[in-house]
Amino acid sequence: MPNATSHSRHDDRFQVSRRVLLVDYWMHRLIKVGGISVIAAVCGIFVFIFVQIIPLFQGATVSPTATVQLAPGDYRDVGVDRWSELPFVIDQNLDLHFINLAKDNDVTRITPELPDGKATSMRYNQRNQMLVYGFDDGRFCVVRLNYHETFDGNERTIGHDLVTEPAYHIGHQDHPIVDIDYAEADGRRVAAAIQSVGDSREVHLVTLKQKRSLLGAGKVMVDKRFDLSSQVIGVPAIVRAGTQADLLMVATEEGRVFYFSMQESEITLMQDFTPFGDLADTTVASMDFLFGGVSVVLSSPAGENRLYSLFVPEFGSSRLFGHTKTFPLLSGGAEVYAASQRNKSFLVGHGSELSLRYATTETVRWHKDMPFEVEHAVLSSKHDRMLLVDGADMLRIYDLDDPHPEAGVKAYFGKLWYEGSSAPKYDWQSTGASDDYEPKLSMVPLIVGTLKGTLYAMLFAVPVALLAALYTSQFLSWRMRVIVKPTMEIMASLPSVVLGFLAALWLAPIVETQMVFIILIFVVLPVIAMVFGQCWASLPMPIRKYVRSGFEFLVIGVVAAASTVVCWYLAPHVEARFCTVVDPVTNLAVSDFRLWWRQTTNTPFEQRNALVVGFVMGFAVIPIIFSIAEESLANVPPSLTSGALALGASRWQTAMRVVIPTGSAGIFSAVMIGLGRAVGETMIVLMATGNTPVMDLNAFTGMRTLSANIAVELPEAPHEGTLYRTLFLGALLLFMFTFFLNTIAEVMRQHLREKYKTV
Amino acid sequence: MARKSKVDTFSSGAPAGDALVWLSSLGLAVGLFMITMILAVIIWQGLTAFWPREVAEVTVRADSEFTINGAQTFSGEIVHYKTRQDYTKDNKTEVEELQLYVGNRDVYGFSFFYVDVDDIIKIEKPADIMSIEREEYGKAIARPVSLHIKGETSVSADSLEFDDRLRALMDTVAERRDEIHDIEKVEIGRINRKMESIRLSRRRMEREGHTDSEKYRKLVDADAGLQGDYETLAAEAGALRDLQFEHELEVMLLTGEVRRMPLGKLINYRYPNQLRVIDKCVAFAHNMVSFILNDPREANTEGGIFPAIFGTFVMTIFMSLLVTPFGVVSAIYLSEYAKPGLMVRMVRIAVNNLAGVPSIVFGVFGLGFFVYFVGASIDQLFFSDTLPTPTFGTGGMLWASFTLALMTVPVVIVATEEGLLAVPRGMREGGLACGASKWQCIQRIVLPAAAPGILTGMVLAMARGAGEVAPLMLVGVVKLAPTLPLNTTWPYFHFEQKFMHLGFHIYDLGFQSPDSEAAKPMVFATALLLIILVVAMNLVAIYVRERLRRKYAVSAV
Repeated sequence: MPNATSHSRHDDRFQVSRRVLLVDYWMHRLIKVGGISVIAAVCGIFVFIFVQIIPLFQGATVSPTATVQLAPGDYRDVGVDRWSELPFVIDQNLDLHFINLAKDNDVTRITPELPDGKATSMRYNQRNQMLVYGFDDGRFCVVRLNYHETFDGNERTIGHDLVTEPAYHIGHQDHPIVDIDYAEADGRRVAAAIQSVGDSREVHLVTLKQKRSLLGAGKVMVDKRFDLSSQVIGVPAIVRAGTQADLLMVATEEGRVFYFSMQESEITLMQDFTPFGDLADTTVASMDFLFGGVSVVLSSPAGENRLYSLFVPEFGSSRLFGHTKTFPLLSGGAEVYAASQRNKSFLVGHGSELSLRYATTETVRWHKDMPFEVEHAVLSSKHDRMLLVDGADMLRIYDLDDPHPEAGVKAYFGKLWYEGSSAPKYDWQSTGASDDYEPKLSMVPLIVGTLKGTLYAMLFAVPVALLAALYTSQFLSWRMRVIVKPTMEIMASLPSVVLGFLAALWLAPIVETQMVFIILIFVVLPVIAMVFGQCWASLPMPIRKYVRSGFEFLVIGVVAAASTVVCWYLAPHVEARFCTVVDPVTNLAVSDFRLWWRQTTNTPFEQRNALVVGFVMGFAVIPIIFSIAEESLANVPPSLTSGALALGASRWQTAMRVVIPTGSAGIFSAVMIGLGRAVGETMIVLMATGNTPVMDLNAFTGMRTLSANIAVELPEAPHEGTLYRTLFLGALLLFMFTFFLNTIAEVMRQHLREKYKTV
Repeated sequence: MARKSKVDTFSSGAPAGDALVWLSSLGLAVGLFMITMILAVIIWQGLTAFWPREVAEVTVRADSEFTINGAQTFSGEIVHYKTRQDYTKDNKTEVEELQLYVGNRDVYGFSFFYVDVDDIIKIEKPADIMSIEREEYGKAIARPVSLHIKGETSVSADSLEFDDRLRALMDTVAERRDEIHDIEKVEIGRINRKMESIRLSRRRMEREGHTDSEKYRKLVDADAGLQGDYETLAAEAGALRDLQFEHELEVMLLTGEVRRMPLGKLINYRYPNQLRVIDKCVAFAHNMVSFILNDPREANTEGGIFPAIFGTFVMTIFMSLLVTPFGVVSAIYLSEYAKPGLMVRMVRIAVNNLAGVPSIVFGVFGLGFFVYFVGASIDQLFFSDTLPTPTFGTGGMLWASFTLALMTVPVVIVATEEGLLAVPRGMREGGLACGASKWQCIQRIVLPAAAPGILTGMVLAMARGAGEVAPLMLVGVVKLAPTLPLNTTWPYFHFEQKFMHLGFHIYDLGFQSPDSEAAKPMVFATALLLIILVVAMNLVAIYVRERLRRKYAVSAV
């Protein structure tokens, strides 16, 4: 008991210095913040990646930026330069009104120098910035629109000038041209027209050629004339020349479409088809080419909107048009049409309805009923603006924001009918040689590839790892365990880049030539081990005691090595016996597994294949499965095993009936974590496969996995482009997949721990 | 849990299922075989890359198709014998062929040559063949003819003084090469950096319109001064470089061509067939040391890998400095502060999940977040002068370290927690009972006791970080970095620079290199080095952990 005199001393003694308390308080805070922030970082990764991919699944946004009241008049078309600064409209007198958007919407009116006569038809070619006119006297004329940029200090002005080319006759003289189209590409120049001759209509085509002289580009002359009228059955209504100047489409009033191919200045009728043949009204209301010139967008007066593409059909030899896409109904035929100059988007409209659609994915990017009648529309070259001319002679300019039209759920997970392919398919090919290339961004082949690599890795790793874990935890001598476990941990630490390089440069060439040997080993070794075990067990006790329990693996190692040697010498004979085929090149009998496989299964055989990947991935996966499974089996309470052994169960019976059922959750979680590692493994797959996207599970071909795909393509992907975000989507898929597997595994392990506590 | 089956004692019949025990032992045997095999392959292939090989003089039959430039006699290092499948004859016949490293790529256009063994008449190992390591085109393998010394009569290879003279001249040349390297890389490099910084300041002042200020004029003067220094140094280097070309070694290839090579282009020479075992050992050690200490040459396929070793080392250390505090703090929070319950359980799941997330996902995150978001923002704020050339807005050492730190956080957390849990409860209670505050107790008692656990975590994280390549490919590793990330120019540690890495070096050499066959020994040697590094770190971690476990297994009782 403290007495009164020591009372104050007592207080002192228990007085904690302020500093200690302060430090304690702040450290508490700091550690809490630090701990929580690390956990927040985990969620942060997920959130960040998720935010990156959101734009992929959003549609286009269209917002009005300006309206310009034009002089009253009935305008025939609208066009725009590639900077979208100086659009123009064409009035009934064929005068061009240029509107300078950068300078207070100043309007400049320009009358092109055209030949005499009344222009009965006109088309604007945005791609080449050309206007082509058809006259009532059977002539046509091309006007080139040259936009140019000039700099005055830092001030930029866009100028324009018009160059009129000479007029040429097409078809009969003095008969009006009803519809005209002109295309030029790679030196080919083609004009096609529908001409009204009396009561009938005729289709004519002219090819032009430019003479080359020493002084440079020479005079343009008519090369050949073609009269296609006899080949077109019905009354021709619409004519369209392909943007590559290599094909011609003619639609008749009855709704038949004729497709002519132009090869080496010869015209051949390739095909005629009725795009709306299944409808009551088969009439074609509009027909226009899509960017790239191999697909046509057709609409019917009822508003049906279909896409026909050129492809070589199955069992066919030449490219024909086929119905590949159907879009949602419009309220009527598409009087308004504008194709994007950057991707496969197109704008269609009827009356006040406007719809921006993306051909590849067959989706509507944006759709609106405008509060006015839309008469003409054009999309800017950068696909960032939309210009409309309405019924009240207003030029309306809209900002178009659609950075990822090629993305979307359908693009990533659905079968798509790409241009040029004969059927819908899953494909990954993110970049192509030309501008009008259609990116193929399906995640499906990558997922299949990932699962394929994982499957072969697990097929090999799971049995080996689990058997090893069972043996190590239950039967192995204690002294060996101390060596074995760290050895397996060392295996886990091997950098995957080393494994990948060994797989590709060392193992793959060996496996390729010794395939039969490898297969033989996989079959023979387990059988030998079982047979040997059986024989050994039936030997009398005095012999058996030479191998102490817990050291069997050393003996089996020797046996396995011996059988491997036997297999090595046996393999060529097995190959000669079973895999002899006739070499198609030399016509000699050859016993070669690769050739045999190719000929009998009709599937390819690659040097860097799934089998090699599976085996080498085993190095990465086996130690992980092994350590977790071994730990959970070794921690089975000894009371259980001792009880079983005491009741007379053999060590195998104890292991199978007591240990494994108790530790099964641990084994399951080990396999899950191994699976997670195999799914995300990058370097091994990147180096040991050819990285070709595949859709099969063939053991002798390579694959492209999600992770390798990221490693290959992300360094080159432009920041925030569609490919960049798509690769983030791949990363998110990987993240979610491993998250799912690991969570299952972790829950299982916690469950197991609880269980062991109660036993 | 090894237990001897007691059944054996009572009956001579085998216990049930013993055959299956044998099967399960196969699993372990296979696993152990795999690890032994892979280590053996890498160690063998990696070490033989340094062992000097003898040069064989091969003569083929008169009608053989295996001739080099028409010559039937040629020389080369014997790489190995292998079998090739010949499909031109009935059934598959295996033809034994010899792979030779013939060198002299400047003359032949290739470095490797394959000869069918059947066509070879004789293989000799003449003592006078010289193997010369050069700056370009790989090795030259030839007979020395004479040494042309400027201003003297040439010394024939037969003369007694030839070797001494050549050795002496090679030494001078090597010294001069170092001098040139010093001038060009170090001094001129320093001037370039100064000029670059002056250029930036000038540009800033020009933009702000201060071109007539005193400071601007000073800058212009300084620039001119530096330009002068630069020219002096460049002239000096040029003069030295000219000296490198004044003496020449004339050799005759075994295929008959005669070549003169300036000594400045030669690095080292040997008579491989004259080497005794002890000489070979010396050469082996020399090769290994120069592999570790030299810069790479010829698209990384020759020379050493010092920048890669250094890059890996600096990146790993920096990463571990970043990751350890965070990991330790979280582990302390989890095991000492947080109340057990659903929250802690979920956090554990999250941490374990993070450990299982594929490394490439961290790379993607690092690129998107650190490089394009944080880095680009830093550039906007502090380095707007150099834009659009990014400073931090591109991959580099800093972002690579951050990315890997994030990836290895769970490793540190798990290991530290294990260490903390192993500290007996009694020690904490004792501390608290003596009146220590919670933090004092952790700081003075728990943390020192758990130090081995923390150390284990740190070492394991370093091992994981050193071996990981996939995320680095996205956030800053390059095949050839011009300067080291840590050097003598201010501010000494160049965070933002790209760097070389052993793991990426392997990938690049094996798969991106134009001559992957020639690069193979280098790849194996690099792989060996990387494995030694990673395995050594893991062994340390395992050792420390085992000691920790044993210590507290006793004290906990």
